[in-house]
Amino acid sequence: MEWRRLSLALPLAALFVVFFIAPLFVLLGVSLSTDMDTHTFTFAHYVKFFTDRFNYSILTDTLLLGLKATAVCFVFGYPVAWIAARARPGLQSILLLAVILPIMTSVVVRTFAWIVILGRQGLLNQIVLGLGLSEEPLRLLFTEWGVVIVLAQVQMPLMVLPILSILAKIDPNLADASRALGAGEWRTLWRVTLPLSVPGVIAGWILTYAACVTAFVTQSLIGGARLVYMPLHIYQQAVGANNWPFAAAISIIFMIAVLCVVAGLNLLAAKSQRHAQA
Amino acid sequence: MLTSFDRRMFLKAAGAFGASAMMPGFALAQTRTLVAATFPGTWSEAHREFLAPAFTKRTGARVTQSILLGTDQVSRLVAAKGGKPPFDVALFDAPQVLDAAKQGLIAEYPTAQSPNFADLLPGAQDKWGPQISMQIIGIGYNPKKIKTPPKSWEALWDPQYKGRVGLTALNSQLGIAFLAEINRLRGGTEDNFEPGFKALRELLPNVGAIGANLGAYATLWQQEQIDIAPYNFNFVQTLKSKDVPVELAIPDSGPVGWSTSMHLVANAEAPDLAVSYIDAHLDPGVQAAMLKPPYDVIPTNSKVPLEGAITLSVAKTYAELSKVRTFDWEKINPQRTALIEHFNRDVKI
Repeated sequence: MEWRRLSLALPLAALFVVFFIAPLFVLLGVSLSTDMDTHTFTFAHYVKFFTDRFNYSILTDTLLLGLKATAVCFVFGYPVAWIAARARPGLQSILLLAVILPIMTSVVVRTFAWIVILGRQGLLNQIVLGLGLSEEPLRLLFTEWGVVIVLAQVQMPLMVLPILSILAKIDPNLADASRALGAGEWRTLWRVTLPLSVPGVIAGWILTYAACVTAFVTQSLIGGARLVYMPLHIYQQAVGANNWPFAAAISIIFMIAVLCVVAGLNLLAAKSQRHAQA
Repeated sequence: MLTSFDRRMFLKAAGAFGASAMMPGFALAQTRTLVAATFPGTWSEAHREFLAPAFTKRTGARVTQSILLGTDQVSRLVAAKGGKPPFDVALFDAPQVLDAAKQGLIAEYPTAQSPNFADLLPGAQDKWGPQISMQIIGIGYNPKKIKTPPKSWEALWDPQYKGRVGLTALNSQLGIAFLAEINRLRGGTEDNFEPGFKALRELLPNVGAIGANLGAYATLWQQEQIDIAPYNFNFVQTLKSKDVPVELAIPDSGPVGWSTSMHLVANAEAPDLAVSYIDAHLDPGVQAAMLKPPYDVIPTNSKVPLEGAITLSVAKTYAELSKVRTFDWEKINPQRTALIEHFNRDVKI
């Protein structure tokens, strides 16, 4: 009978094998060949990547960018989820809509909106100049902090939704109990609510992180060509330089690096779960 | 009962799906369709507005555009090698023609089947496919901020433009062409780009933004993020038609540029339609229509009189146009990877 149940997953599994696993092996194959025609086996592209500090620094910059953006996302996203989880049903659906609304527009549109806001003649700079806070327009576009801010906003729903779903499931009696035992709001949040919401937080971190490091559109539009991150690097190697094997090799390396970070987060989640149960 | 109902529904749906899958075959039997590649932005608009109707008028066939940059087209054709190509007509800038011909992605152009080919300027009659236009680069500037038009490329290094200069990454044709021209002016050759890179490093304090692609680059002008930067004649005309404050100055070292050409893809599904489509682009009527603003596509058919913006800033006659300096892509192409890497290393913050 087990087989009958599993068979329901077969269509999806077949789809994955054909359109995800198989191409992944093609990618791996390309990354290990000298060029697109002869397909002679070589490790040269991987050696080239790791013996060159430039490639290396792009990888670390990208992984760090993801951490920064995810952290900002968390700092702003958690309170939103917390408020939404405790709000009256009417207000809750309004907040929920506000969180989901950005997903309904394309990433390109959201990113372009930020160009209008952050530019030299942009909204933010007009306010800053108008209030006399600065003589010169601030440089926000084409800086790493610009990319972090925009990524944090663009990917915010991925952080808020998992946290919200966990917070909504926490028994409200627990918070009441905490208060009855004399803990204040902050202490309750810190000692009760936050630890109980860790699974949602980790899920949010994983989703947001993976989305941030691979956000080609946002990274290249806000960061420009002076801030090279892995997605742009891969694109330039594949399409600009027509060096597909190297592009494939750095794609594999990038994928493994991101998987490692995600696995690390998962481990953290498992550990905190045990901790919470203990 | 419910399960049998569901199964019946499923069979019906499957039947409908199968039938609809066969429908395009019917449609194809009646009107043939050509898939032709074109560049994003104004090129695709100009082709839809003038070329597609002219093509349909002569053949009765329809055309579907595949909108891709030249380098992306090469990638797609490489990926589809040995099978059915994703489009029958390719639109390339000069450097891609060499790559595509070398890799067997395009076929030699059957000039005998293309009556307009003989009317092209001699330089435009390439055996791999006719040149349909020319792209010219110069110094783009914002006339609201810069009152006297810049006279030479050296203006970009002027300290008064600190933080106001724009560049594009080297994966764009504009970026590579600008580097090659600066390199030449600073004493480099197509074998030695060091003087060009040295000049770029000296330019960096002035550079406010480097667009990762040409779409992002246009945004820099629209948002007035930059005031002065290398730019294409055609992109400037497009932005001007949208009321963006930008003008093009041709530096005293003369205009530089490259040709844009159309090609019959190797193993094309409908080679007769493809050649007819390309020939329609060589038609004097079509070229004259595309020369009008806002497209200002520089013609290559000698029967089309030069007029409009091109004669004001770049060249008054075809003789002058033929003197526009071009680049030795045969030498530059193999270095492209190295150049992109060198550039990325130099500009990375």
